[in-house]
Amino acid sequence: MASVTPLPPPASPAPFYAAAAKVYPREIDGRFSRLRKLAVVLLLGLFYGLAWLDWNGHQGLLFDLPARKFHIFGLTLWPQDFLYLTLLLIVAALSLFFFTALAGRLWCGYACPQTVWTELFVWIEQWTEGSRSQRMKLDRAPWSAAKLLRKGTKQLLWVALALFTGFTFVGYFTPIRSLGSQLLSLSLGPWQSFWVLLYSLATYGNAGFLREQVCKYMCPYARFQSAMFDEDTLVISYDGKRGEPRGARRRGTEPRSLGLGDCIDCTMCVQACPTGIDIRAGLQYECIACGACIDACDEVMDKMGSARGLIRYTTGHALQGARTRLLRPRLLVYALLIGGAVGVLTFSLLTRTPLILDVLRDRNALYREVHGGLIENAYTLKMINLDDRPHRYRLTVSGMPGLGIVVPAGDILLPPGSVNSIPARLAAAAEAAGGVHHIVLTLATVDGSGIAVHENTRFIGPSP
Amino acid sequence: MPFVRGLDLALVLWPSFLAACGASLLFFAAVDPALLRDAGPRVFAGLEREAGYALGFLFFWAVAAVASALSVYLIRTARTPPAATHAASDER
Repeated sequence: MASVTPLPPPASPAPFYAAAAKVYPREIDGRFSRLRKLAVVLLLGLFYGLAWLDWNGHQGLLFDLPARKFHIFGLTLWPQDFLYLTLLLIVAALSLFFFTALAGRLWCGYACPQTVWTELFVWIEQWTEGSRSQRMKLDRAPWSAAKLLRKGTKQLLWVALALFTGFTFVGYFTPIRSLGSQLLSLSLGPWQSFWVLLYSLATYGNAGFLREQVCKYMCPYARFQSAMFDEDTLVISYDGKRGEPRGARRRGTEPRSLGLGDCIDCTMCVQACPTGIDIRAGLQYECIACGACIDACDEVMDKMGSARGLIRYTTGHALQGARTRLLRPRLLVYALLIGGAVGVLTFSLLTRTPLILDVLRDRNALYREVHGGLIENAYTLKMINLDDRPHRYRLTVSGMPGLGIVVPAGDILLPPGSVNSIPARLAAAAEAAGGVHHIVLTLATVDGSGIAVHENTRFIGPSP
Repeated sequence: MPFVRGLDLALVLWPSFLAACGASLLFFAAVDPALLRDAGPRVFAGLEREAGYALGFLFFWAVAAVASALSVYLIRTARTPPAATHAASDER
């Protein structure tokens, strides 16, 4: 009989949750900080600016949810164009995988809204409350008029920025200019107010209050991004072979003569880290690869007269002294998949016909005998002009000799983005109309834009 | 494992928020809230599309939050945490 090993007694519950210690990121300057500032200005400039850009008399980028139409500059997408959104999301996800495998967490460090807005909020904090040490001192100090002024100004600016962000965000879903005038005349609808406030709250909470805790505790990508990593992925790493044993030393002394490595244990890399980790402990999932520790360490190495790059962008293979392979099967597969999805997306967008024709046969009667010995069939045509311009269309019929169109007699003018339902009647001489005929109705523009759709239907006459 | 108010609340609300975003996107891409209003019970009469989107989102969030809350509850109230049980069976 198998012996049963009793379960070990449950470990005494460790302090499972403690209030996270506040991180005061040190302000630094360097290559990667400048790159990140550039990314912040560029991305936030796009976000706050694009909503106000007009295109052919309407808002250039507008995901008009109330009207269920997406305007992307010259292109108008409808709910039935959901395929494009799906493809776009697939391309975005694959690109994330591709760049993660190639260069680590580029997304986290430079492009993620969490990082970008946190950076903006930290700038405001630095402007109102000062440097890292000033901020720590201010937090420890008792409340005073000066502290109230600094903290109050910060909160005021944060709330104003959060509200403007919420307003801009909603401006991508309902026309921003009318949203603005509604806001100024205080006549914003309840649901629009709800969304503006919800997004403002999210901005304030994420970028002002939670910050690095979003990356550490809330972000699923942070947990699974390591699955895309291999030994050839660019990561930010501390060169332990060069740095250890760490220890303080006088400027200008040769560390090896003291039995020390290049790291002087100044903890600048830790102070600069926006998520509050020590990169010297190795690659951690909390690292968002912003490069702040590289800039901080390079500055120190310059002062100490040592070579830069004790902390640097490198790969696992390079650290082990092996060669880094850029072209890996994993990258090629990602690239192929991205290329395929982009190809399908481009092809289907280019061949997209901005016109929909649905033909419904009259349900009441198969056919009618009308004056002049003619047999007539009735239909309902449902037409949607998906283009952002009006078009003049003509209906033609083929597939049955002698069949003519009674109604609609002339051309049909459809305004842009309109859904139209019109009756149609086709007629043929009784002697030619017997039985069931498969016919094709064609709706084509007559203004030279070359848009045409074909729809199969039937013309039914008396049984022969 | 004891209940931890702040963390448990976050574990319930946050994943369900993400799920609600995805569900709203998929659902409202296929279904027009105006059609639901016209076909649905009378309490919805007169609501705008915007209201439909917001109510739909809140509904998805609530349903997903119930699922999250159950998951957290089951994990928290197990006599032995699942991780410990697995570790013990792996050793045998």
